[in-house]
Amino acid sequence: MNYKIIILLFVFSMWLGSCSEPFEPITDASQPLVVEGYVEAGPGSFTAYVILTRALPFITAVGPDQIGELFVNGADVKVSDGDNTVQLTELCLDDLPEDLKVIVAQSLNLNPDSLQLNICAYVDIGDQLIREEGRSYDLRIEIGENVLTASTTIPTYVPLYGFRFDDPPGEPSEQFARLYTTIDDPANEKNFYRYKSGVDDGPLITPFSSVINDVFYDGQSFEFPLSKAEDLQEEVPFEEFGLFDRGDSITLKWMSIDEAHFDFWNTRDFSANSAGPFSSYTRIKGNVDGALGIWGGYSVDNYRLFVPYQ
Amino acid sequence: MRIYFLSFSLIVILQQISIAQITVSGYVTDMASGETLIGANIVLASDENIGVSTNTYGFYSISLEEGTHELKCSYLGYEDQIVAIDVNDKKELNFNMSEGIAIAEIVISAEKEDAEKNVESTEMGTIEIPMAQIKKLPAIFGEVDLLKTIQLLPGVLSSGEGNAGFYVRGGGPDQNLVLLDEAVVYNSGHLLGFFSVFNADAIKNTSLIKGNMPAKYGGRLSSVLDIQMKDGNDQTYKAQGGAGIVASRLTVEGPIVKDKSSFIVSGRRTYIGDLAQPFLNGSDFKGSNYYFYDLNAKVNYRISQKDRLYFSTYFGRDVFKFSQVKRDLRFNLPYGNATATARWNHLFSDKLFFNLSAIYNDYQFQFDGGQDQFEFNLFSGVKDWSLKADFEYFYNNNHTIKFGVNFTNHELTPNTASATNGDVDFTTDYIPKYANEWGLYAQDDIKITNKLSANLGIRLSLFSQLGPYESKLGRGSFDSWENVTNYFGIEPRGSLKYTIDPSLSLKAGIAKTNQYIHLVSNSSSTLPTDIWVPSSEIVKPQQGMQYALGIFKNWKDNTYETNIEVYYKDLKNQIDYSEDFVEDLSQEVEDAFVFGKGRAYGAEFFLKKAKGKLNGWIGYTVSKSERSFDDIESGRWFPTVYDKTHDLSVVANYKIGRKWDIGAVAIYGTGRNFTPVGGFFLIEQNINLWYGPRNSARLDTYHRIDFSATYTPKPDTKKKWKSSWTLSVYNIYNRKNPFFILYNTDADLETGSVEISGDKITLFPIIPSITYNFTWN
Repeated sequence: MNYKIIILLFVFSMWLGSCSEPFEPITDASQPLVVEGYVEAGPGSFTAYVILTRALPFITAVGPDQIGELFVNGADVKVSDGDNTVQLTELCLDDLPEDLKVIVAQSLNLNPDSLQLNICAYVDIGDQLIREEGRSYDLRIEIGENVLTASTTIPTYVPLYGFRFDDPPGEPSEQFARLYTTIDDPANEKNFYRYKSGVDDGPLITPFSSVINDVFYDGQSFEFPLSKAEDLQEEVPFEEFGLFDRGDSITLKWMSIDEAHFDFWNTRDFSANSAGPFSSYTRIKGNVDGALGIWGGYSVDNYRLFVPYQ
Repeated sequence: MRIYFLSFSLIVILQQISIAQITVSGYVTDMASGETLIGANIVLASDENIGVSTNTYGFYSISLEEGTHELKCSYLGYEDQIVAIDVNDKKELNFNMSEGIAIAEIVISAEKEDAEKNVESTEMGTIEIPMAQIKKLPAIFGEVDLLKTIQLLPGVLSSGEGNAGFYVRGGGPDQNLVLLDEAVVYNSGHLLGFFSVFNADAIKNTSLIKGNMPAKYGGRLSSVLDIQMKDGNDQTYKAQGGAGIVASRLTVEGPIVKDKSSFIVSGRRTYIGDLAQPFLNGSDFKGSNYYFYDLNAKVNYRISQKDRLYFSTYFGRDVFKFSQVKRDLRFNLPYGNATATARWNHLFSDKLFFNLSAIYNDYQFQFDGGQDQFEFNLFSGVKDWSLKADFEYFYNNNHTIKFGVNFTNHELTPNTASATNGDVDFTTDYIPKYANEWGLYAQDDIKITNKLSANLGIRLSLFSQLGPYESKLGRGSFDSWENVTNYFGIEPRGSLKYTIDPSLSLKAGIAKTNQYIHLVSNSSSTLPTDIWVPSSEIVKPQQGMQYALGIFKNWKDNTYETNIEVYYKDLKNQIDYSEDFVEDLSQEVEDAFVFGKGRAYGAEFFLKKAKGKLNGWIGYTVSKSERSFDDIESGRWFPTVYDKTHDLSVVANYKIGRKWDIGAVAIYGTGRNFTPVGGFFLIEQNINLWYGPRNSARLDTYHRIDFSATYTPKPDTKKKWKSSWTLSVYNIYNRKNPFFILYNTDADLETGSVEISGDKITLFPIIPSITYNFTWN
């Protein structure tokens, strides 16, 4: 046995013996209501909708039947844009014609071919709400005796421009490129941004850290890198993380959001990413009175980009 | 009744004054090294009820009637000395004590004196731990650690498996005043707290005050850990050191001018990361490394019997370097403490001892990283300048009066970040926060009668937040040194002791404490990234009131010391983070604080055997620690993460012949609180966890046994080089104590399948280690 092996064994001795055992939680029977609703404005924006579900207690595994039961049906869901109050209509995917089902599934970033779940949502099917920047939207949901309320705004969109792809830092790579873009952040106002990205007509994926605020660059124009959103269920080598493959087609969805909407995603991302031996817990800061979740306004634009070969 | 009491007190005082007394004073030192001995007992041989102890600098002063007396000096582990003195001729008497290892009876005699303090001292909740005892106990990775030893005392809890952080009597981690030669140590841990910054070879004495802290201490609510560095051998040159599996250490000391001046330099460094370099050099992570080191140095100079100078310093750093060559990603993360203390001891008279200290301490946390053209720098820290003037007036054997004043200027730098990306610069606008802290105190250790003693004191504290500062309450801007907010505190302290018989006493204590700078952690344990924050117009001072009662009993001619103490703590202006706190640089941490109250209570049971081949102690604590914040679950009282209902420690040392010492530590305690996941919900087809009530679940019961054996091949060798080997085994039966719960989630909404699981992760299995120790002189 050479000395390197001895040293290696020693260095990692504390971890070699470390172990894990399954944790048996104290199950909590309560199932809080969960609101996920958005109202968007801008090119390619989608009509307002609300998905109403219940949370599940800590159980090890559930299948499509149990997930399907999470959707709360029969609620009275109304949204006011200040001028109109619109009743959202409950739609379930299985109730839709096949071609419409495909469109709705894609809008929810789901693959219609493999979709087995009958997702239900409350939708502004007539697109009656005036969806525009600077407008506020009040949500009111009645479910039996429960009344849930929330309010959000669609802020002014701040566009990206000057997209370019460059070699990743460090060693040159023929396979990967990093995306750079430029923004002119409006001065003297708080601005909050969120983005998602998708590759080759695949679903838009939320990146590891999906929101940005302008605390450090208020009013500045500058170029910055945007990471590829990785599917965290798949293992990505450390040196490839956030890089785009050359030859890929990219869909980039860039969104301006208000502060409460930012707080939701900021706490959500932090809570999801901070697991570890010393971490404490972070409660996700929703903006819905009476429920978990988010009622969020987006001003959006989608950018289609191609990653050039070297 | 009141008039009767006052008359009685007056008579007692007048009686004391009317008897002509002469004062004898001096220093007690170790003969071999010249080190002053702290807490040595000097008593009248003919009446051991008349006696005093040496102070932090080894000085004593005793009042005697005219004539010839025999004074006996004793100190744990040293041979008693009895000296006859005619106080009409001589008023200065220094004791040079020799270690009494060879004379077992005398050692026992000294241990008896030490054991009697259990019953006779007015102090409560105060424990002194000799370094020799600490060094014999098992240690994880073989690294002797005094902070991990104090965790074995009742009322003191570890902040986590293998961690050197500690909690005292239900108080928070920032509520412990950790002093190294009077300098505050703001971060006492290396490697995320798994090792303490205190190199055992450089430490002379450690005392922990977990209860009624005397008025001379201030600024923290829960405890004082007062650590004194060795002065250095003023008789002969000496080296000692050791090599373990993670670190090596070397200490050199010796006289600069024999009997007048000495020095000590002590260093320690880890090399585990260096050993990994051969593997990293050929990898993508070439250049990555981790190590920590400590440097202690001290010099002293005895100008005369009346004047002494000391200068001591500490410098320690953790250094974490990360480099990923392939993507040009790199960062350098150094952090650590630096302290310096200059002291002047002066005897204004044989009754009035004076110490003037000038103290500097600086804790810095730094992160410098980047990738390609992007550079990011982060800095936070605490820097203090302090001046302390302390007087000890040995009025007579029934009154030892201490009084003094101290001043500290604080500079606390919040997370200040700057970044550059090509031509664009980003920076936080946060500037350091400044404050002045004053303390004025007086205390008297009073022997009212032979049975009744008291220690009464009062501390007045003043804290001033200073500019430059921009008010967050609309009060405008404040210039440099301009007062922003003042806080004033009146902190009475007192304890009473009633002696029922020479082996049994009852004690009671009360202490009010104020704390003006705070550290709040969003982690299960404090981390080097946590930020110290001063009281301000937004953050009010923490306040604590502690009540304690105790019964102290020695058995079988002081072979066994026992005590039971009960306490109740009432805490105000407690601080925590809001439950939706996110660590980012877009806000100052105090903007995310919530404020509330706390309470802690418990009972501590302590049995110690100091004599014989088998010695050690058993400590058991049953306690509760709770907090309530209006902004957390609507003010529900919840247990803290360090609320541990049961905590049992058994510590034993056994000497086998002259070559072997074995030690064992057994720990059993309630599992740590944590906030459990209540369930999950789906947003954007992802699993999001929602949590149950704060700290409403517990990890499994914690228990383990550690073992050590020290072998000294040639204990009686006359050679200059002496050595020993210590084998230490941590967690000997490989108990899988969970450290935290790691949740794993997997969701595929298209197929409707969701999996969620939690794993109890254990950090430290059985860990054997071996250490080689040596001395040369």
